[in-house]
Amino acid sequence: MRPFHPQYILEALPQLVLYLPVTVGIVIGTVFFGSLLGVLMAAGRIRRGRVGRAFANLYIYIIRCVPSIVLLFLVYYGLPELLIGFGININDAGKGFFVITTFSLLFAASMAEVFRSAYEAVDRGQREAAVSIGLTEFQAFYRIVLPQSVRVAIPNFTNALVNLMKEGSLAYTIGLIDIMGKGQLLIGQNHGSYSLEVYLALFILYWTLTLLIEKGADLSERRLWAEKGREGGVSQCS
Amino acid sequence: MLQVKNVRKAFGDNQVLRGVDMEVRKGDIVVILGPSGSGKTTFLRCLNFLEQADSGTMDFDEVHTELKSASKAVISKVRKKTAFVFQNYNLFQNKTALQNVMEGLTVARKVPKLEALVKAKAALDKVGLSERYDYYPSQLSGGQQQRVGIARAIAVNPDVLLFDEPTSALDPELIGEVLAVMKKLAKEGATMIIVTHEMSFAQEAASKVIFMDGGVIVEQGSAKQIFTSPREERTIQFLRRVLRDYDYVI
Amino acid sequence: MQLNTQFMWETFLHVLQGIPVTLIIVLVTLLFSVPFGFSMAVSRSGEGKIGRKIITAYVSLIRGTPVVLQILFLYSLLPTVLNYLIKEMMGLPYNVFRISPIFYACAVFTLNTTAVLSEVFRSALSTVNRGQMEAALSIGMTAAQAYFRIIIPQALVAALPNMCNATVGLLKSTSLAFMMTVKDVTAIARIDASFGYDYLEAYLVIFAVYIVLCSAVQGAFYLTEHMAAAYKKPVAS
Repeated sequence: MRPFHPQYILEALPQLVLYLPVTVGIVIGTVFFGSLLGVLMAAGRIRRGRVGRAFANLYIYIIRCVPSIVLLFLVYYGLPELLIGFGININDAGKGFFVITTFSLLFAASMAEVFRSAYEAVDRGQREAAVSIGLTEFQAFYRIVLPQSVRVAIPNFTNALVNLMKEGSLAYTIGLIDIMGKGQLLIGQNHGSYSLEVYLALFILYWTLTLLIEKGADLSERRLWAEKGREGGVSQCS
Repeated sequence: MLQVKNVRKAFGDNQVLRGVDMEVRKGDIVVILGPSGSGKTTFLRCLNFLEQADSGTMDFDEVHTELKSASKAVISKVRKKTAFVFQNYNLFQNKTALQNVMEGLTVARKVPKLEALVKAKAALDKVGLSERYDYYPSQLSGGQQQRVGIARAIAVNPDVLLFDEPTSALDPELIGEVLAVMKKLAKEGATMIIVTHEMSFAQEAASKVIFMDGGVIVEQGSAKQIFTSPREERTIQFLRRVLRDYDYVI
Repeated sequence: MQLNTQFMWETFLHVLQGIPVTLIIVLVTLLFSVPFGFSMAVSRSGEGKIGRKIITAYVSLIRGTPVVLQILFLYSLLPTVLNYLIKEMMGLPYNVFRISPIFYACAVFTLNTTAVLSEVFRSALSTVNRGQMEAALSIGMTAAQAYFRIIIPQALVAALPNMCNATVGLLKSTSLAFMMTVKDVTAIARIDASFGYDYLEAYLVIFAVYIVLCSAVQGAFYLTEHMAAAYKKPVAS
């Protein structure tokens, strides 16, 4: 058996934590751009236009089938060549650019489903009732439909977010230095001799991040339900 | 044939049954009435061990047991002597009508398949579903589903049939077909314990009516006695309320 | 943009040899994960408190960390552990370093997919109405009979859509098997690409192959669902 040094886990942790901002930054950037694209796709599926719907469906179908790592390399190698055809040179763009682009493409497909199911979960009658008592379309959406949709969306969004964070760890394969990339560097510096310890430290970090995201989702969901309870009165079943 | 004494059951702090006694003889049609929350359904479920009572004893032919500490063997024995018809049918969703009825025969009682098939078909014929052997529950109306539920119960030839509000999940126009089957069984001499809100059925078919409220039996007697000359104030109030509703519907 | 189509065609033909490897990993993994995941789901709804806590922690850990990390960790751990067990503990002269990497891939993906499926089955079991168990008990079945004849068949059908998602996820994860030196679709294409730096072309080929494989998986599940859910279909009567 090779020697195992638990104390190296503790030594590695602070060095890895230094790169946590990169991991989190990638996630935040992706959530921003991916959600924008996701809204477009969701709109494509909800609206009546045939072309929009067909395109959105095809997009979601393809993304669902493609492994993240394959898309990551396609973007990394393909996007510069594609854009150079349009006279745009992005060969000098940072690795982060390719990572965020890739995961935005992936995340958009998940978000399109999150948005669509949230939108469809709210009964049509809610909007009609709101409009019928004199609210404008915007007010009906903002005050009645949206709050209910958000509550439906939270669990799905949380899932998508955790997945994004986990898949994001693949960014090291194109050389981005996030916590995973730093872990690989540490292993390389020690000629592979502390790999188990470093991986365990990474397990701790990723698991903690997931638990934090889930905790946050849980709290916000609870707040939304509590609000509902105050307004509408929770019925008590005996 | 069946006697239970001092049945008690609490859910948390909520004392649902506060000492219920009942005796059933062969051929009895016992109807249990009472407002919702009176404990009548819980009592019925305790008889089939779907709910475990906190205390009480049961004598069922040769079987004597404490309800609280009944052994697996005893529970299995009692369940094989009884059959339960559920409020929401609880038909096995993944089995056809015929398979639903055969299941209790072939699996629980190890009846040979061919014999079970004959018995199951006979049971379905009896409830008027000869045309629906191979339909899945989702393809049947509520009344038909409940009749399969009854066929499933009678196919195993139980000593006692337990009915838990068998018609309360049904649309009004479907209640009649189920009650008709139950009346037919009563006439043929089946022993039945029925929790129901169908007053006309109780008046017509019951050999004994039990009125429960607050987890105890308030009053019991023949159908005639309970409906025409109830003694207890709570019984009178309950009957006044439900019979008025009943008249109102007509 | 210039694509080396000649290379793509050759790589495509070459890559076809990797498809059986990918499919074997998926099938073997499912073969183990389905029963494991199901028993985990059942015991999580059961009585034993300690067992339930351990399973919950396991599922949370696996689902809370990247697959790639699980692969890297287990691939650097398993061979040495196996070597220790076989050579030092049992004294067998077997060389564990000759074990096919496909074995490790199946082991890692089974650990992962079991956790995913246990969640799938847990929610599927909860969709089966409590009354089904009561009805089974009331006609005299034992709890085990009720489980095997009534509850599990219904839960499996309810689980099919999410099992499909889990299988698609598994299929996609196999693209990481090259990290364990498995010669699957991805690995073959990458090796081909490394000679002339035709990575874009190679990944386009992998991309196409995965869309086909993924469509096949979804089609298979669609058919299974169609046949298995006969009892949900209304009839015209």
